[in-house]
Amino acid sequence: MRNLVWSLIAVIAVGTTGCGQEQRNNGFDPNLKVYRHAMDQSPSSLDPVQASNVYANHVVLNAYDTLFAFKYLARPYEVKPNLAVDFPEISDDLLEYRIRIKEGVHYIDDPAFADGVGREVIAEDFIYSIKRHFDPKMRGQGAWLWQGRIVGLDEWKESGADYDQEIEGLRAIDRHTILIKLIRPYPQLIFTLTMGYSALVPREAVETYGLELASRPVGSGPFRVTSYDTSKIVFEKNVKFRQEPVDIWYEGYNPETQGFTGVEAIQGRSPPFLDILEIDFIAESAARWNSFTKGDEVQYTGVPNEQVDNILSSKDPITPTQEIADRYHMYAGVEAGFVFQAFNMDFPEFGYNDDPDRSRRNKLLRCAVIKGFDWSKRNESFYSGLGIVFPGIIPPVVPEFDPELSRWSVERDVEEAKRLLAEGGWTADNLPELVYGTTSSVTSRQFFEQFRGWLKKIGYPSDRIKIKQFATFGDISRAWKNSTLPFVAKGWGLDFPDAENTLQLFYGPNGSPGSNDANYRNREFDELYRKTSVMLPSPERSKLYQRMNKLVIDDCVAVSGISRTRIMLWHKNVIAFPDREIVGGFFLKYVDVEKQQPVEGEGT
Amino acid sequence: MEVLQYAIRKLLGGIPLVLGVTFISFLLMVYFGPDKTYELLGKNPTQEQIDEIRHELGYDKPFMVRYGEYLKQMATLDFGASDSTGEPVSKVLARTVPISLALITPGFILGNVLGILLALIAAYHRSGPIDKYIMGFSVVGMSISFLIVVIAFQIIFSSSYGLNAFPVRGWNVHSFSDYLRYITVPTLATIFVALGYNTRFYRAVLVEEMTRDHVRTAKAFGTRPGKLLYKNILKNSMIPIITRIMFSIPLVVVSGSLIIESYFGIPGIGKVTYDAITTGDQPILKAVVGLTAVLFVITLLITDILYRVVDPRVSLK
Amino acid sequence: MSSVAPEPVVDETVVDDGSAHRESIWAKTVYKLRRDRLGMVGLSVVLLYFIVAIGVWLGIWATEWGDVEGPKWAPMSAEYWFGTNIIGQDVFARAIYSTKTAFEVGLVVAVLSTIIGALLGALAGFFSGTWIDEIILWLKGVLDSIPFYLFVAAVAFALSGNPYAMHIAMVSTFWTTTGRLVRGEVIKLKNFEFVEAARAIGVPQVVIIFRHILPNTFHILLVQATIVFVAAIKSEVILSFLGLGVQDGVSWGLMIAESTQEVLAGFFNNFVWASVFLFGLVMAFNMFSDALQDALDPRKVASE
Repeated sequence: MRNLVWSLIAVIAVGTTGCGQEQRNNGFDPNLKVYRHAMDQSPSSLDPVQASNVYANHVVLNAYDTLFAFKYLARPYEVKPNLAVDFPEISDDLLEYRIRIKEGVHYIDDPAFADGVGREVIAEDFIYSIKRHFDPKMRGQGAWLWQGRIVGLDEWKESGADYDQEIEGLRAIDRHTILIKLIRPYPQLIFTLTMGYSALVPREAVETYGLELASRPVGSGPFRVTSYDTSKIVFEKNVKFRQEPVDIWYEGYNPETQGFTGVEAIQGRSPPFLDILEIDFIAESAARWNSFTKGDEVQYTGVPNEQVDNILSSKDPITPTQEIADRYHMYAGVEAGFVFQAFNMDFPEFGYNDDPDRSRRNKLLRCAVIKGFDWSKRNESFYSGLGIVFPGIIPPVVPEFDPELSRWSVERDVEEAKRLLAEGGWTADNLPELVYGTTSSVTSRQFFEQFRGWLKKIGYPSDRIKIKQFATFGDISRAWKNSTLPFVAKGWGLDFPDAENTLQLFYGPNGSPGSNDANYRNREFDELYRKTSVMLPSPERSKLYQRMNKLVIDDCVAVSGISRTRIMLWHKNVIAFPDREIVGGFFLKYVDVEKQQPVEGEGT
Repeated sequence: MEVLQYAIRKLLGGIPLVLGVTFISFLLMVYFGPDKTYELLGKNPTQEQIDEIRHELGYDKPFMVRYGEYLKQMATLDFGASDSTGEPVSKVLARTVPISLALITPGFILGNVLGILLALIAAYHRSGPIDKYIMGFSVVGMSISFLIVVIAFQIIFSSSYGLNAFPVRGWNVHSFSDYLRYITVPTLATIFVALGYNTRFYRAVLVEEMTRDHVRTAKAFGTRPGKLLYKNILKNSMIPIITRIMFSIPLVVVSGSLIIESYFGIPGIGKVTYDAITTGDQPILKAVVGLTAVLFVITLLITDILYRVVDPRVSLK
Repeated sequence: MSSVAPEPVVDETVVDDGSAHRESIWAKTVYKLRRDRLGMVGLSVVLLYFIVAIGVWLGIWATEWGDVEGPKWAPMSAEYWFGTNIIGQDVFARAIYSTKTAFEVGLVVAVLSTIIGALLGALAGFFSGTWIDEIILWLKGVLDSIPFYLFVAAVAFALSGNPYAMHIAMVSTFWTTTGRLVRGEVIKLKNFEFVEAARAIGVPQVVIIFRHILPNTFHILLVQATIVFVAAIKSEVILSFLGLGVQDGVSWGLMIAESTQEVLAGFFNNFVWASVFLFGLVMAFNMFSDALQDALDPRKVASE
């Protein structure tokens, strides 16, 4: 009987591998240029107002247009006009922005439009798209970017969010010119206009599809969506996309570091180059890696942590093994974000306490935990030793990063930690119970176990460190926002390359339910934050940023941090310089594939 | 006429069951369930924005009002749109249920057919070495965790470390051959695990039947083994077999195969439902749980009618 | 899925009847069980695991399961018998410690769901045809028609982080099979002479149920408990993989969940050892459970 089972398996196997021969190009017409990208999570939504994470942003930026974008190849990152004709004209007091948009750009054809033909994109669409964030019915998530910044916008929401009502600070002066008036200078405004949140959405589509717009985009981006579910999204080329030949030198091409990618081949041609762009959402790293190495499935992957040692011959500099180098292109870049932990200062057991002596002892306790934390081991365990450990909360990706900062707060010293505990009068008997909130993922649990193991070494009893597991991100987020956890472990992805974006995590008025989950309140910090928030980038501003950073470090609020190095691999027949940070979704329109080469990369 | 009357009575009788299921699942999954609010928040929210979202999601309404709305949705079969993607729930179901069915049906059928075959062989050679061999195999099958089988099969059949013969994951089906390629490994895993349980169960049923007097009598009268098997044994064992198969159906149809779908990245109803749980997408949850209950009631009815078809002595009471 | 869901599968036909000569059956059962070689092997292995679990519970061994000072992914060696995991924990200590977790889950779920199943089943059976029976049947029907993993996930969420969410969810679904079997048995028993006699001399109903009827369903409860035990351990693995299982501590399920990220990088320690330990216990328990069922099957006893 078992023989029967096995022969059956054999029949199926033979039958299907037989079929496999004719099946190439993933079921698409073999004459089409197809590129299969991979992401480790599915986007939360395809509606620009909900483009809250890097995954949603990837997708939104390819279906919709934004006024500005990041240059494809320039590092450090640089902004360029996208749908805007040029950079904005800014008044001398930095309060008025005038932005002209390109003429003759059309939305994709869609039944939402009269006659089903996509109409021209106009300035009014931008106004409408920003207003949507302030209309509660739209369930937008980007309002915080413009809240309290634009003249009349908050009042517009107060008075009932009527789209026909004009706003003084957000207007279309003519069909193709946008005027933005600010309440006070907002140097990061142009960055916000590169984000998926600010993408231009036609009002007809919103009114036709309502909430369903979140799964069927109607935009003017380089691609149009043909199918979308929880496992993948398929785009086809938007044939109406404006013809704009690429100048790779303008995009910041550096032949020395980027020559290997072959991007010179796209010089002078108009994107998008692909007929079909497919993005697979593959959460399990093993499955993603399998799919990538198979050769005829996804053509790009971030290298999962557990594979890094197998594919590198050297970590400094990061060099792939010969086998990998022969087969794939590789690029390693530091993420625009970081991972950190912070005490919630609102808990009198660890943070601010009415009793000044207890406050002093609490600070010693926090400093001891920081000294007991082994960042280099964390780096080795989970980031193959390739992450960049840095003190404080200004990560390496922003220009204000200071590589000279003292590393006291990121170097483990068990003796020093024990000394600090003793100085504060802390013993195994009187240490408070520390509740560590985490999601239920395997890695989060391992973070916790590692943390508890290290604290055990400095004399913090393991039964005093409790895990509190949250089944969904929403639930742990609720705990953060309601300030119910004494210890917060999280990651922060930067929205734009400016340290303001991380410093606001410790700005007093941003306390719960704002993004200051640590509920850190320091008068000097808050004053500096307000002062710098209206300053244009300058050495002076950088200095103030660094001063704020120092305050956070000296108060022992955060155990921070590490920026991960991401290694990306892609098949040799793909012409691209992929980067999921900052440039994010913008790079996909520049991707090209060599058609002649067999699609199966493996074994050729 | 009698059957119709019976069916209507039975369906009406199923209403308390549906009410119970909807109430318990509403309580667990909706009222105390995951909170979507904090997924929909921007990065730096104010209390006002939090309240707005709660209002948008209807979380601020009283319990009975929300439950009432749910019952209304059940009655009209209109569950609105997903809180995550905005896609109408009906569309989500229409897209994902067929995938789950296509994925699970072959394994389900093969698992049961092979189970019955093995059970027949084992039962026929009862207490002999073949029986022991098959039953040993089935205990082993029962003892291996499904998860282990799935992981191991993926490595063996799909990875470049193994045979590398099938897609690692995904569901990119454009033709029948694609279909076979994608379902083979999940199907093998399903069969492998189901076979142990099924074989045991069916063997017990068959052995029970074989020891009955009329079978012994028939055997004594020299009825041919094939006829004996078919007419006297298999036919009389139909009731427990039908019960087992029928009661698996609602769960298979609506909840799909969570492990398989999430491990192999197949966008079926199981994965969608699980994602709905982890993100608090209540419209989807409400639909899935409610429809499972309704299907259960319908299954109960069909099962009863089938009993009668296979055995006219069973009366529809 | 449901064909592989850890629903306790019982061939009713084997345990569904038989009642009369209880005493002699018990004696025969022990006798039969002792002669069942496979069953005895199974029992010994289960006992061995149990001793390991007790040792963990008493803190005699595997106390260092949480220490993180070892190297990352060390291979098997004299120091780390089964190697180490990604954060330098000793896989051997963790596999051993997980034995305790498994027994904890298995025993809690098996005992509680058997008790609940026995009580509700007996009530439903004794009062069959009345509203009590109706309500219990309704409850059973409701619990049976919610997909298992959805139900557990929902319970886990509703109890937001309660460490026993998984146990509660399993108990509330696993008692139903036991309940159904007991109900069937009780319906048969209550028409027997000794029950009628008790009723005739005015013994209170509660006493009848507990003193005269429930003890006679013990063979069903015993077999069901072993089946639920196995189902609970196996479900824990899946639930831990989904992030709904054991919260603090370690289990084979968590080790396998960890391993899904490691196996393709060539680190098999977590996967192999957790699988081996899990398989060993489940297999042994299944063998023992089979032997128990065989021994308790009155028809077989009679036919000998």
